[in-house]
Amino acid sequence: MNDFIRCLLAALLLVGSCDLFHASGEDDLIELEERALQAAVAKVAPSVVRIETFGGLERVGNFVVGDGPTTGLVVSEDGYVISSAFNFVQKPDSILVTVGSGRRAAAEIVARDQSRMLVLLKVNTDEKLVPPVVSPRGELVVGQWTLAVGKTLDPQVPNTSTGILSAVNRIWGKAVQTDAKVSPSNYGGPLIDIQGRVIGVLVPMSPQATSEFAGAEWYDSGIGFAVPLDQINAHLDQMKAGNDLHRGLLGISLPKGSIYSEPPKIAACKIRSPADVAGMKAGDTIVAVAGKEVRTVAQLKHALGPLYGGDEVGITVTRGDERIETKVTLAEKLLAYEHPFLGVLPQRNANGIVVRYVYPDSGGGAAGLQQGDRIVRFAGQEYQDPSALRAEIARREVGGNVGVTVMRGDKSLDLQVVLGTLPNEIEAELPPAHDELPLEGVRNVEVGVTEIKIPEEPNTCVAVVPVDYNPRIEYGLVVYLTAPGTFQREAFADRWREAGEENDLIVIAPQPKDAERWTRTEVDFIKKAVDQGVATYNIDPTRVVVYGHQAGGAMAYLTAFEHRDRFTGVVAVDAGLPLRMQLPDNDPISRLAIYTTLVKSSPIAERVEAGIEAFREMKYPVTVTELGSPRELNAGELAELVRWVDALDRL
Amino acid sequence: MFARQCCSVALLLSLPAVGRAESTFAPVVRDVQPRMVKIYGAGGGRGLEAYQSGFVISAEGHILTVWSYVLDTEFVTVVLDDGRRFQAELIGADPRVEIAVLKIDAEQLSHFALDDAIDLAPGSRVLAFSNLFNVAVGDEAASVLHGSVSARTRLAARRGAFESAYDGPAYVLDAMTNNPGAGGGALTDRRGRLAAVVGKELRNKLDNTWLNYAIPISEVQLSVEQIIDGELRPQPDDPDLRRPAEPMTLALLGIVLIPDVLAKTPPYVDDVVAASPAAESGLQPDDMILFVNDRLAGSASDLKNALSYIDRIDEVRLLVQRGQQLVEVSLFAPDE
Repeated sequence: MNDFIRCLLAALLLVGSCDLFHASGEDDLIELEERALQAAVAKVAPSVVRIETFGGLERVGNFVVGDGPTTGLVVSEDGYVISSAFNFVQKPDSILVTVGSGRRAAAEIVARDQSRMLVLLKVNTDEKLVPPVVSPRGELVVGQWTLAVGKTLDPQVPNTSTGILSAVNRIWGKAVQTDAKVSPSNYGGPLIDIQGRVIGVLVPMSPQATSEFAGAEWYDSGIGFAVPLDQINAHLDQMKAGNDLHRGLLGISLPKGSIYSEPPKIAACKIRSPADVAGMKAGDTIVAVAGKEVRTVAQLKHALGPLYGGDEVGITVTRGDERIETKVTLAEKLLAYEHPFLGVLPQRNANGIVVRYVYPDSGGGAAGLQQGDRIVRFAGQEYQDPSALRAEIARREVGGNVGVTVMRGDKSLDLQVVLGTLPNEIEAELPPAHDELPLEGVRNVEVGVTEIKIPEEPNTCVAVVPVDYNPRIEYGLVVYLTAPGTFQREAFADRWREAGEENDLIVIAPQPKDAERWTRTEVDFIKKAVDQGVATYNIDPTRVVVYGHQAGGAMAYLTAFEHRDRFTGVVAVDAGLPLRMQLPDNDPISRLAIYTTLVKSSPIAERVEAGIEAFREMKYPVTVTELGSPRELNAGELAELVRWVDALDRL
Repeated sequence: MFARQCCSVALLLSLPAVGRAESTFAPVVRDVQPRMVKIYGAGGGRGLEAYQSGFVISAEGHILTVWSYVLDTEFVTVVLDDGRRFQAELIGADPRVEIAVLKIDAEQLSHFALDDAIDLAPGSRVLAFSNLFNVAVGDEAASVLHGSVSARTRLAARRGAFESAYDGPAYVLDAMTNNPGAGGGALTDRRGRLAAVVGKELRNKLDNTWLNYAIPISEVQLSVEQIIDGELRPQPDDPDLRRPAEPMTLALLGIVLIPDVLAKTPPYVDDVVAASPAAESGLQPDDMILFVNDRLAGSASDLKNALSYIDRIDEVRLLVQRGQQLVEVSLFAPDE
């Protein structure tokens, strides 16, 4: 008990209160505590400024922008104030900051931190501002008192909310968490300790999303975040110089699977990415970042999360038994990755890599590759398997010149091929993908129109499997997501039966639980249905496509992007991208091709076109079929689409 | 080193604050709760709950609560902490400070003395007593929330900032006090000393968040005293009081109210006759008349009754609520 009082008194002394009084009993203890908290707020108050904005948007998306004052925190004497990007979403025409003397001064945004969603303001004043004392990060203890301070309710006196520190390493290491009430009333203001020292700047934040609003829906919920002030100060000079800060990117692809268990073994390094420049290679495993050990993908994300583009960081990788130390300068932006293309389709069920078809306009076509050639060597390495060659091509660069050795009959030919880009056009005709393969043994799976049943899921799933299903043949898988309220089992089976039998396709149609609508969470069920299909039938992983019509199209995008490792194609008919969807970067390993219809006169045309443009900018291959009116594909278009699926195993 | 010690003290304190509640706040809570009442009246349905909170302010059964639609009925029921139910009389209200005073027929009640009310500084620990969400029924005790004063500020720093008619000083609270039914609750310091009346649900238009606030007793005390002294009340229907030979009427002023179909139809203006005194004064349809010459117009019949005591040659001052604004107008009947 005496210790409590002694320490609280110490806290009071530290914050400069001379108000000594007799402390006896519990009641006085609470009073001591109350006074310590009040003194802490009084100590930071001169550094907390009120910001008023004028003009700008009234609404951003569905969000109605508040027009009241917001809060900022002084970070240096010479007029710099940091605040939350949330306070400026409306892009105000003018900004006023009330400085210590009570006078309003004009301010402007100098730089933005796009990783932590902060803005730095420069206040046009001769007055010396009062920066706060930093609470050192190393001293933070979960459970300690924290106060969230804003200056929105009253022009003179800060508004405060009391809570404790809930966690120290949130949002990939970018924030600390508190249960004090954090809301637009104090976004941009400080989170302080009981000594009035600043722990961080209050911001809305979410581990999943990155917009200015992300996390604002959690206001006053007991979950609030603050960006540590020492992290802000470390990059203050950059921001003062007018440079925006961005998340630091390494430029590697990581293994599929759970981020909490997979070790961070590099699946691919993007060309000219920081990782590539530093000499990392596919197959290397990252074992330490800045001297700190990392064992899983999640730990790697935590270690890199707080870093910015331009930051230099030591990364240790292991390559076989070798341990390699690298120095990496992280990038703000990576060059969009584009898949190089040799220009051939491989024969299936062949011995080695036999050319089924040569794209006439491709690099391979120009170099004189021919149908029936057997590719044996690529860039000096021998290959027998199309998937290994595909992975190697993915590590190359578009425009790169590669030596390819083929066997034509019993002659060996050395060709020089310039790698091109994946085609967006659909070939008019393709030769058969494989020789006749007689059925061996018995078929022990359901064929024809059948059901895929997933235990414990209320949804159903219809499947159309060729009646001559042959387990020796690799089938493509089309996952059809119906426009809600339109599914007819018979029509669906008729539509796909023949196409499936002629082109080695299995088509499944997972159904929404409520026939009238899809819900986002049904992505999980769709994934389970696909897994079940893959487990039951012989499916070629390079030809798994999710095809959605109208609202089913939005689901198709969601499903494909959530399960990049599963799908290689997404087809959207009369559907745009789901609103506010963030497109992931194109990835060397997980290929994804897009097929979309476009109806210029349709109300969603603008959204569809914006999506096409976004995909193209990110170097995804996009095939667009223009239709005169919004409708499902007709028989001819469907046959074309089936050829598109058939060619997804292209090299 | 010192710093680290204090951090750990803070950590320890945050736990005992819960663990030791029995020895600090419990007697205070036990002392306050008998003074709290639950109030039931008009309303019902989503967003219009038919209940609110209040507390006893005299041994003879005066109850302070917030002025709201819940009181728009003849049948306001008050349930005391011990479960006793009373039919309450609305003796008066002051919409300007959002309060109303009820009276029940009881004696020797535990009560707060408004004279002993205190002021709070930002950062002070507080306890908020109310029947939020009507969690407590019958003789169950009111709910208690613990928090602190976040700020003391005026509710209307800017016009229209808050959807409230009250624009005076208020305590903004660091606790989720202002929930359905909590209006009229008591805010005390950690020793149980009365400080404020918990307000209604209120959205802060400046930043689109919900605001937790309470109105200091010092802001409402005068109104409460006036009500108890007989002002700010509906005009009593007193046989001893003489009505003027030619009284004021709504028709003379050009005011048409919405049809008086309920026992206590709120006096909303349905229409304003063109070129009438009402039209000239700027009165508008949908205005709700709150006061007539400082007499509370709790209903259309109260309003007509109040007018019947005013001579037609005298001034009529109306306090009306227009949206969330209070507007005062002065009217004279036209010469004959």
